[in-house]
Amino acid sequence: MKLLSPRERKFLENRLKSLYGVEDCFDDLVLIKCGRGRIRATTKETLELASRLRGIQQIGLYVMKISNGDISLSVEGSQLLDDEIKNNIIELDEEQVEKWMKAIPIKTEIAYRGRYVIGKFNRLYLGSARVSRGGLLYPQIPKWRRIPIAKTRNNMHSQLP
Amino acid sequence: MGEIKLSESLREYLSRMPDLDLDLLLEAYRKPLPTSFRVNTLKMDEHEILEMLKEKGVSFKEIPWARYGYVVEHGSIDLGKTLEHMLGLIYIQAPISMLPVEVLDPKPGEKVLDLCAAPGSKSTQIAQLLNGLGVLVANDISFERVKALASNLQRFGVLNVIITLMDGRKFPRFARECFDKVLVDAPCSSLGIVSKNWGIARSWSPEIAKRLSKVQRQLIVAGFDCLKPGGELVYATCTLTVEENEMVVQHLLERRESAVLKEIDLPSLRYRSGIVEWNGIELGKELRKTVRIMPYDNWAEGFYIARILKEGSS
Repeated sequence: MKLLSPRERKFLENRLKSLYGVEDCFDDLVLIKCGRGRIRATTKETLELASRLRGIQQIGLYVMKISNGDISLSVEGSQLLDDEIKNNIIELDEEQVEKWMKAIPIKTEIAYRGRYVIGKFNRLYLGSARVSRGGLLYPQIPKWRRIPIAKTRNNMHSQLP
Repeated sequence: MGEIKLSESLREYLSRMPDLDLDLLLEAYRKPLPTSFRVNTLKMDEHEILEMLKEKGVSFKEIPWARYGYVVEHGSIDLGKTLEHMLGLIYIQAPISMLPVEVLDPKPGEKVLDLCAAPGSKSTQIAQLLNGLGVLVANDISFERVKALASNLQRFGVLNVIITLMDGRKFPRFARECFDKVLVDAPCSSLGIVSKNWGIARSWSPEIAKRLSKVQRQLIVAGFDCLKPGGELVYATCTLTVEENEMVVQHLLERRESAVLKEIDLPSLRYRSGIVEWNGIELGKELRKTVRIMPYDNWAEGFYIARILKEGSS
């Protein structure tokens, strides 16, 4: 784990601004690189105490992943930025939010800028989905927090490896 | 309904315990635990979340002894598969299990250590009460369990947390007198939650309790050594044996002069005082300040809780 350098942080802020219209982000938080483009956020006080401890597995909250200049926000990352997010948002209806949390692709007619779009349901932000060229959104919900898909005759075969 | 079986040694052990009604205990073991949850105010307003649940047809009532705690009265949905759970707006946790953190009463700005933290019910509760100020250190000895702990803290949205993987008994080596509050929710023989798994009662033996007691004694001393002077430790288990409860606390009181038991006040909850005599051995009278909750006291889990102050000022 390494702290983001001021240059890396500036780059990140610029990308968040151009992709999602975010003006102020994580101002009072420390950002940490934790491998494969993943970024975690925490407080200064937490980081200070961590310098004293051993056996550390994780610090703070996983907020985003950067790859090739594109930013995929985690559920919590998008919730932290909240209404700072102005662009590249898809407002989901109840049926779509169910699909989103099951990581089932969602069809969209809108053209989005960048490779990712942020899901929103009522006032809740739900992290990112990858936008495919064919107009499908692939929600980036980790397996451990997906709403399980009920097994029916129609989808049983798709559950097989 | 099937019949619950106790091992011979457990039946004999329980029959010797003062103030224990074996028939009522067996009745409590047969009943499933009530479904209850905490609302996550780190993510959203409490009332908004409750409204979302009401719209799904869930009805619930407040748990009087736990802030943000609710017990489900009616509702056919599985809370563990709801959007609210997956997004971390609620945390499913048994009602009495919310009590140790309420007794610890972490305040915003404090440094808190949860020494045996996985899977993270109590850690998320501590984080909620810290409200983003101060630091939570959530430790566990098992790599597999730390993964569950990390997932739960992520889903709950906790920023000010450090997750460590280590034997809690070694913690004072580098974190001596570092924390304002310490929770030792020790691994135990789980006789307070047999209704979750009847196998616990079938396979219990005094050797299990003895073996766990040794680890618990080391953990409570380690946790205490991590406290700043003036800080407070809560020791808790979800079991009934004296070896894993009062005798562990007694061990700490004998080893550390600055350890002082404090009264625990639990309005709106049935409980009894700690045991002060066992197997002809007089334990310290001050152990009456500790709390025993039988599964049939509130028709929920059984727990033991002790609150210990480290004398001195930091």
